[in-house]
Amino acid sequence: MRVAILCSSPYSETGCAVAARLAQLGNVPVGALTLPSWDRGTLLRKVGQWGLRDSLQYAVAKLSPGKSTIRKQIRNPYLETALRHGDGVFRSVREVAGTYGFPVATCSDQNSARAVAQLKQWSPDVAIFTGGNILRDQVLNVPRLGIVNAHLALLPEIRGMSSPEWSLLCGVPLGITIHFMDSGVDTGPILLRREFAGADGCDPLADLRHKMIADGIELIAEAVAGLDSGTISAVPQADREKDYQFFVMHEHLKAVATRRLKKARLNPVRGRCDESGGANG
Amino acid sequence: MSSPESSSSRNFMTTRTVRVLTEAAGLLRAPQRIIPLFSKLASDQLRTTFEHRHLYSYVDATIPTADALRSVVDWIFRAQRPDGGIAAYYSYLTGYSESYPEVTGYIIPTLYDFGRVTGDLTARHAAFLATDWLLSLQMTSGAFPGGLHGSDSGPGNKVQPSVFNTGQILQGLVRAHVETRNVKILKSAVAAGDWLAVIQQTDGSWTGPVAYQGTAHTYYSMVSWALAQLGAESGDARHAAAADRNIDWVLAHVQPSGWIDGINLRGHPAYLHFIAYVIQGTLECGILLRRDDAIQAAAKPAWVLLRKFETHKRLLGTYEPDFRGGQQFACLTGNAQMSCIWLRLFEVTGDLRYLNAALKMNEMLKQLLPVKGRRGVVGGVAGSYPIWGAYQPMRLISWGCKFLADALMLEGRLARKFEAELEKESEASGCA
Repeated sequence: MRVAILCSSPYSETGCAVAARLAQLGNVPVGALTLPSWDRGTLLRKVGQWGLRDSLQYAVAKLSPGKSTIRKQIRNPYLETALRHGDGVFRSVREVAGTYGFPVATCSDQNSARAVAQLKQWSPDVAIFTGGNILRDQVLNVPRLGIVNAHLALLPEIRGMSSPEWSLLCGVPLGITIHFMDSGVDTGPILLRREFAGADGCDPLADLRHKMIADGIELIAEAVAGLDSGTISAVPQADREKDYQFFVMHEHLKAVATRRLKKARLNPVRGRCDESGGANG
Repeated sequence: MSSPESSSSRNFMTTRTVRVLTEAAGLLRAPQRIIPLFSKLASDQLRTTFEHRHLYSYVDATIPTADALRSVVDWIFRAQRPDGGIAAYYSYLTGYSESYPEVTGYIIPTLYDFGRVTGDLTARHAAFLATDWLLSLQMTSGAFPGGLHGSDSGPGNKVQPSVFNTGQILQGLVRAHVETRNVKILKSAVAAGDWLAVIQQTDGSWTGPVAYQGTAHTYYSMVSWALAQLGAESGDARHAAAADRNIDWVLAHVQPSGWIDGINLRGHPAYLHFIAYVIQGTLECGILLRRDDAIQAAAKPAWVLLRKFETHKRLLGTYEPDFRGGQQFACLTGNAQMSCIWLRLFEVTGDLRYLNAALKMNEMLKQLLPVKGRRGVVGGVAGSYPIWGAYQPMRLISWGCKFLADALMLEGRLARKFEAELEKESEASGCA
């Protein structure tokens, strides 16, 4: 199975972990296509996700990796298995590529002609999306089978952003879905759909998210193996046209979701999201 | 409306030119306003140039809602004129405007709500004064006049009754009666409602000289909302029936995209303020009259705008039919109205995405409130962001403050209710 990796940055921890994990399982990627580490959009996203202090610390780690104390730290502790390599830790997809021997290319936009040409040259059966741009058809159509994404909620119930948080608030069981991407938001055919049983003891929400990402990577590996052996096939989503898309959650609601996480039992509650899919049904 | 309905607005270009010159001349009369004006222009220019909002904007609460609410309502208190009416706006060029009957009317419910939420007796007193002033303006027909108070009352000018102003004032009168049980207020409200019902066209619209620009408008669904409120209070079926007829007429303008045609403002684009009026009036009528078709018709464009806001982090100041794009400035009043609409839809449907969008919208609006400056500026909601945008440029407007106050109070009430229900259900299911 020829697998390519799409990363939001060469330093994407998730991107590194996916590439490393697949390689550890004997499926060395045919290439990794990353966005540049320092474009404005990526920087803003990092600041938005991590805050200014953590982003600056991260920048220091990248600019002078030898001196930084963050060098051997892993932001997501649940990725340790995938990222540990001897005494060190993979900090960039280039390091993973150096170890396992696959090429890395950088593009300013994953939809650009250059990105499409690079992907075509690698001729992958599947590509794994670990972050970056909203992908357009010209890229989605390049891999023979498609581009795979790990979504941190059960599809089709919860599509879009802040998905674990919305699952908690809407009373939908926490879960992970591995699916092919299409032109919609998390509307592509489903490969694997698993409820997530590891929420106990997760605190705060970021911890839950980290744990789910790590599980998602294992599921990606399982899906790739299943596609390779022909034991898994994609099932189109029944409610593709329904509008189950969610958006970035306001911190006020996040605080409510956190309280619900602490209560551990995730029973359905009032305040469900309109099952008709808003007004667009 | 919040665009004064003047009978002398036949020639828009002339009117606009005169208005611009008059406002500019205001600076000559009060040169002390020059520094605040330039300061505002510079700060908005800096902000629009350097502050590029991204995906995670507005998800964090930076200003306590209670502080912002107090700030906008204080602005309304300061805008109340000695006659009891509330100024339409504070202009960076000319200062406070005259009292504006229409806005004074529909600010009354906001004042009572604020009094209830905070226990502030000043708000109740302000509502009394505003109601008294409005009662003094009512025409013998039951109608209320259009335009700013005194703007058409010069020699040779005849005060013109206005459907829209009468409807908006009616909202305030109905609420004032609910709060005071004063028979005089109810009588006045019924007279206004009767007039609206009598002059309504058979198709359910209002048109002719009593309508803005002599044309029927779908944003008069706000008038229907007031009539439906009156019907519930007076028990007179004619008022609710008139509201029903108008909503039928409005629903005939719904397009497949969700866009509701028939705003019909010659010489103006479809500002978000008016689009939101159409939606808000239709939604509130749907809720009051128990008409699911009206709720659905309002929910569809509200959802389209929610998706636009969530995707682009902002709404445009104007939209072309079918939401095909428009002008880039932000119409802050329209934004606050959309927040009210989303919150009400959350209340009706339980869909948390409406609450989430409203929380973010309120956050954006709170961040744009001036926290320092002269009287008339602090706590005011600008017509446009940046301040030179096309909707009420260089002005802080009282109806913007009204809708933001409404949105913040609704947010508080519904968020508390949601959390309490969630808590209760968790306890009931043994989670606590």
